[in-house]
Amino acid sequence: MSKIEKALNKARTAGLLKVVPPLEPSPQTEPATRAIVPHPEQHLISSDAIAQMREKALLGKNVLSENRIIYPEQAENATVRAFREIRTKILQKTRGANCTIMVTSVTGHGGCSFVAMNLGAAFAFDAGKTALLVDCNFRNPSLQTKLMPEKTRGLTDYLEHPEMNLAEIIHAVGIERLRLIPSGGRREIPAEYFTSARMKDLLDDITRRYAERFIILDAPPMTETADTRILAELCDYAVLVAPYGKVTESQISACAKVLGDKKLLGVILNNEPRPPRIQWRKIFLNPISVLWHNRTHRNATK
Amino acid sequence: MKLHPDQFISILTTEAFHHRKAVVAIFVVANLMTLTLGVLWPKAYTASTTILVEDKKIIQPLMQGAAVTTDVADRSRLARDVIFGRKIMNQILEDAGWLKNNPSPSEQEKIIDNLIRQTKITNTGRDLIKIEYKDGDPERAFKTTKRYAELFIAESLNAKAAESQAAFDFIDQQTEAYHAKLTKAEEQLKEFRSANLDARPGSDADIGTRLSALQLRIEQSTQDLQEAETKKKSIEKQLSGEAEVATVLSREGQYRARIGELQSQLETLRLNYHDTYPDIVRIKHQIEDLNEAIAEDRKQREEARAAGRVTIDDSVINNPMYQQLKRDLSQVQINIDTLTARIAEAKRELTMEVDLGKRVHTGEADLAELTRDYQVNRDIYQDLLRRRESARVSMNLDKEKQGLNIKIQEPAVLPLHPTGIRFIHFILGGIVLGIGIPLGLLYAKVEIDRRVNAGWMITEKCKLPLLAEVPHLWSPTELKTVMRGLTWQYLAIIATMLIVGAVGSMHVMKTFML
Repeated sequence: MSKIEKALNKARTAGLLKVVPPLEPSPQTEPATRAIVPHPEQHLISSDAIAQMREKALLGKNVLSENRIIYPEQAENATVRAFREIRTKILQKTRGANCTIMVTSVTGHGGCSFVAMNLGAAFAFDAGKTALLVDCNFRNPSLQTKLMPEKTRGLTDYLEHPEMNLAEIIHAVGIERLRLIPSGGRREIPAEYFTSARMKDLLDDITRRYAERFIILDAPPMTETADTRILAELCDYAVLVAPYGKVTESQISACAKVLGDKKLLGVILNNEPRPPRIQWRKIFLNPISVLWHNRTHRNATK
Repeated sequence: MKLHPDQFISILTTEAFHHRKAVVAIFVVANLMTLTLGVLWPKAYTASTTILVEDKKIIQPLMQGAAVTTDVADRSRLARDVIFGRKIMNQILEDAGWLKNNPSPSEQEKIIDNLIRQTKITNTGRDLIKIEYKDGDPERAFKTTKRYAELFIAESLNAKAAESQAAFDFIDQQTEAYHAKLTKAEEQLKEFRSANLDARPGSDADIGTRLSALQLRIEQSTQDLQEAETKKKSIEKQLSGEAEVATVLSREGQYRARIGELQSQLETLRLNYHDTYPDIVRIKHQIEDLNEAIAEDRKQREEARAAGRVTIDDSVINNPMYQQLKRDLSQVQINIDTLTARIAEAKRELTMEVDLGKRVHTGEADLAELTRDYQVNRDIYQDLLRRRESARVSMNLDKEKQGLNIKIQEPAVLPLHPTGIRFIHFILGGIVLGIGIPLGLLYAKVEIDRRVNAGWMITEKCKLPLLAEVPHLWSPTELKTVMRGLTWQYLAIIATMLIVGAVGSMHVMKTFML
C-alpha cells in the first residue's frame, strides 16, 4: 500500500476528503437513481464521475467486520493483504485497464461470493477506481442477501424486461465506489439468461461506460453447473477459488482446464484456518476476565 | 512429494488450530484415563531368590569314569517342572497362607494357575536359577518365594537320589539276569564236552593225517598188486611154453652118438683099409644095428603117444626151468593175496576215518556256538558287574548328598517397593499420549489427505498460478467465540493438569503413609 493511498484512507475516514457530501439514506427512488447514473452518451471525466457517485449511507466498520467485508483500515490483517495482493496481480495482468472478471469456485460453499465481494472492495479501496459486483449465482444469490437485505430488482428482471433501464439495477451498497447488480428473482435455468444477447450487451455496456470500473461476476461453482462455462465465455478473465482442505488437486486441474490458460488469472486458496491475531496473553494469564468480559459484553449488546 | 519442515510445521499448526476442540478433548481424555488406570492399577511386589546348582564338585574328578553324576541340563526348565508340580504347589498353598479361607478345589486350581503365572524362573548364570514371584502382598511374596527355594532344593535332592537308586536297581537286576544266562551256557558247554569226547580241538587235523596215510598205503598196495599180477601173467605165459618134463631122446641120442663115433672110426679106417677089412665090416654092422635100434625106439614112442600114455623111461627127467617157474608163480600168487588183503583192510579203515571226520565237524560247529554264547554272556556279565559297582558308588554319593551341590545363593527378602509400572509412569504416559495422539493423527491427516491445503500444492502439483492464500477473515463475533472457546479449552487443560497433580500427590502420599 502506497503512502499516498494510506494518507487518502486516513483523510477519508477523518472526513476531510469528502468531495461530495453523502446523501440522506433515502430509499432508492427512480428519479434519484436516474440522476446518479449518467447516460452512456455523457462522457464525463472519470475522476469527476467517481466523485459525483452518490453513495448510500456508508456501512460502519463494525457492520463491515461482522459481514466479513474488508476495509482499508484493516491494513495489518492478513486477509486484507491477500486481497490487495490479488488486486495488484490482476492489475499487472490487465495493465491497469478495466475488465470483467468472473469469480468461480471449484465446489459449492467455497467462499466464491466472499472472494468476489472482497475483491470488489479491494478494487474500491483505491479512490481512482470503482468496482461493480454482478451476482450471477441465481440459485444461491448470497451477495444480494448479504449486501442488499431488502428485495430489489436485479439481473434477472433486467434480462426479462427489455424496457428496463440499466440504472434501475445498479445499487449502491454502502461501501464507497462499490456497486452491485443483484441477481434479482431466483431462477432455475440461468443458462438461458447467460446466452442471451441482452446479457452480452449488458456486460459490454457496463465495461465500456467507465474506464476505471472493474466488473466482478460472482458465478456459480464450476463443479455444480455448466452455466459457469457459458458465463466464462462472456468475461475477460476468470479467478478460481479453491476452498482450503475441501478439493483435490485433480479437481482444481480439471476446472482450470475448462477455463483455459488465457482466461484463468489464477487460483485463490480460500479460507485457510490460520490462527487469528488475538490476545493470547490475556487468555493465558487471565482467562476468567476474558469470559467475564464476554459475558458483560453480550449482556450489553442484548 | 516431500514437504519442507517449515511448510510441514505451518500446515500442522493450521490443522491443529482447525481441530483444536478435538485436540484438547483427546488431551483431557488421555490424561484422565491414564490417571484412572494408574490409580486402579494393582501394586505388585516382587520377591526373588537365587539358587546355585553345582554338580561339578571335588568328588567328580576322583570318581572319573567310575561314577556317573546325573547331569542337570537346562536347569530353569527342570526347576519349572519341579516347582510347578502339584506336590510343591500344594505345599506352597499351605505354607504361604492361601488356604486360610478354605478354598474349594476349583478355587485352589485357580490360585495355582495364578501362582504359576506370577512366578518367573530363569537361568541367570550357568549354574544359577532365579525364582521371582510377584504378589500384591509383600509378606506373601516373600514367604512364597522362600518356600519355593526350600521345596525346590529338597525335591531336587530327593529326585536325584531316587534316580540313582533306580539306576542301581536296574543294573543290579540286569546283572542277576546275565549271571543266570552265563551259568546256563557253562552247563551246556560241559554237557556237550562230555557227550563228544573226540570232539577235541585239533582232532580234525589228526584225522586228516591218518586219512592221507591210509590213502597213500592203498595206492602203494594197489600199485604193488598190479605189479605182482603182471609178473604172474608173465610167469604163466612162460610156464605154458615149457614141458612139464624134459623128454630127452636119450637112447636115440646115445644111438646117434655111437653112430657118429662109429662113423668117424669107419672114416679113419677107410683111410687105411679096404672095405673088406674086418674092422670096417664090423663097424658097418654095428652102425646098421644101431639104426635099427633107433627105428625100433621111434616106433615104440609113436605107439605110446598114440595110446596117450607117457612113457617114462630111463631117459625122462624133470624140467628144471619149469620147476623154477612154478616156484616163482606160487611166490607171486602169495604176494597178490597178501596185497589184496592189505588193500581191503586199508579201505575199511579209510571209511571209518571218514565217518569219524564227519562226526567231528558237526560237533565242532555246536561247540563253537556254545563257546560263543558263553563268551558273550561272560563279557556282558563282567561289564555289568563293574557297572553295578559304579552305580552303587553313585547311589551312595547321592545318599550322602555329595553328587549335586544345591544351595540358596541369595535368599528371598521382604520386598519394600512395588515393582512393575509405577504411578508416575501412568502420569507421564498420559501427558505423552495426550500430546502424541493428536500430533500423530494430525500428521497422518496431513500425510494421507490428498486435498489441497497449501498454496504450493497448486503451484507445484497443478502447475497453476496462485493468486493468493486467503486466510479466514474473522468477524468480531467469530473472534469472540474463538477467544471464549480457546479460553475454555485452556481452562480444561489447566483443570486436567490440576486434577492429575492433585490425585497424583494424594496417591503418592497414601503410598508413603502405608
